[in-house]
Amino acid sequence: MTGAQRKRLFGALQVVLILVAIAIMLVPIALIFLAAFKTLRNIYTLNLFVTPTLENFVTVFEQPYDLGAKLWNSTLVATVTVALAIPVATMAAYSFSRFRLTGETTMLVIILATQFVPAVVIVLPFFVMFRDLGLLDTRIGLIAVNLAIVMPFAIWMIKGFIDGIPIDTEEAAMVDGASRLRVIRDVVLPMAAPGLLTAGIFCFIIAWNEFLFALILTNKDAVTLPIGLALFKGEEGDLWNLLSAAGIIIMVPMFVLALAIRKYFVQGMTMGAVR
Amino acid sequence: MRDNTLKYLLVAPAVVVVLATAIWPLWESLRLSATNGRLSRPGSMQQYMEPLWDQYTWAFRYEPAFWNSVQVTAIYTVTTVALTTGLALGLALLLAPGGKFRSGVQTLLILPFAMSPALIGVSFRFMFNPEFGLFDAFFGTLFPWLADVSWLADPVLAFAVCVKADVWGWIPFLTLVLIGGLASVPQDTIEAAQVDGASGWRVFKDITLPQLVPVLAVVIILKSIFSLKAFDQIFMLTNGGPGDATQTLSHNIYFAGMKYGQIGYAAAVAWLMVIPMIALIFAHAKFVFRTD
Repeated sequence: MTGAQRKRLFGALQVVLILVAIAIMLVPIALIFLAAFKTLRNIYTLNLFVTPTLENFVTVFEQPYDLGAKLWNSTLVATVTVALAIPVATMAAYSFSRFRLTGETTMLVIILATQFVPAVVIVLPFFVMFRDLGLLDTRIGLIAVNLAIVMPFAIWMIKGFIDGIPIDTEEAAMVDGASRLRVIRDVVLPMAAPGLLTAGIFCFIIAWNEFLFALILTNKDAVTLPIGLALFKGEEGDLWNLLSAAGIIIMVPMFVLALAIRKYFVQGMTMGAVR
Repeated sequence: MRDNTLKYLLVAPAVVVVLATAIWPLWESLRLSATNGRLSRPGSMQQYMEPLWDQYTWAFRYEPAFWNSVQVTAIYTVTTVALTTGLALGLALLLAPGGKFRSGVQTLLILPFAMSPALIGVSFRFMFNPEFGLFDAFFGTLFPWLADVSWLADPVLAFAVCVKADVWGWIPFLTLVLIGGLASVPQDTIEAAQVDGASGWRVFKDITLPQLVPVLAVVIILKSIFSLKAFDQIFMLTNGGPGDATQTLSHNIYFAGMKYGQIGYAAAVAWLMVIPMIALIFAHAKFVFRTD
């Protein structure tokens, strides 16, 4: 075999491996898509070619499943969490990025560390406190704990974006007599806007997919979509058709959001750990 | 306003939020862990202090379920970290050259990561269903001895399915991180080595891999942290079963605290889990701050 032939063979082998990887990656997702448009009986036959039905998407919104209420809870909790976290995180990120603060490194390390603390550790005291305050099974309670996971992400991510904005424009505006707050509002915020949007979407996805807090702190009124998945158990076992329809409602909006920020997705996850 | 005041005012709200939503509950957990509080007692928990040590040694002396979950978590962490890192590195090397096809695949890689872990658990339970699961239909036909295996009813196989679900969910993200790392390996060094006649494997072993060490370290540390606290997928996939074959530490804490109401004991175990994590977090922070 000549060198060129070997090279071509090697290239073909790589493409095959990549295709196998894609197949493995897409199968669990495709499975949900297929099952969501089938009746429960058809799922058991494993037949790929059946007349698709939209019935499952109607049923999940009816009683006793009432997925609409969960959808509303998830949307509201994630939106309010992001709306609270992003402004607070932006302020802090700007300060960390542009000034020297006493204990800055300590603060940043602690903020970074809190993001990795297992949710199951944090949730126990919150459960006790919420029970005493009557905040169990409320959306307000859920928003409060979601801030705990979203905040460190948001601060680090936005700090990364502001670090990347050249300081010259700000200094020029200051020389022209603009106050610091005006500079933040008129110079920094417009330039950081794409970064803030990315961080916001990122936090929205985290809050939307959050599972353990909602599992322990809600049981009826404030139940979110991922917890709602547990509803679809019939007397004969799992109702796979309805589970899949609910699965699509959970994952498709997040796919759209994730693809919208795909360039920064990884950067956000590692928060500047890998440069 | 002077910058000197302003800079602390800007940070203050974030610090308050982090203190209230992360530091306080950690501290409160530590306090709870020194009590034998139970959820079943109405109103505020009746708490009487025991020697702190008792609560912690209790786990080791009297709770086989705790020991079991420590072992499950340890094996789970080692296998998932090794498999995800290894496979992600392979995939990253395949995808790193770029081009239209490979960039498109990189974009696709985002999808599993935007998927709720709970939903990944559901999807894998679906796939490994012995009656109509895809895995059964596909491999059962190819390899008859794999037909009608009740994956989730067998302790070892159920554990394997949990590992598969975890690896499936994490490979895409780690691959993207490693592709980022590969991009920073100087291309001219590689080309120079190739001109000198070095084989592909030599180039990888002697040039690429050493350059990749810091990124690999971050990947391994991050994945270890997430493996140690694994919960969502396993909860939806096996709920710790069959028996307690897939009960991780997080799941054990959840059971002790929420199902049996032993919140003081649960907090103690939770803190036992925090200790190895603190070491990992410090290692991670070291890498994050290494260039600053």
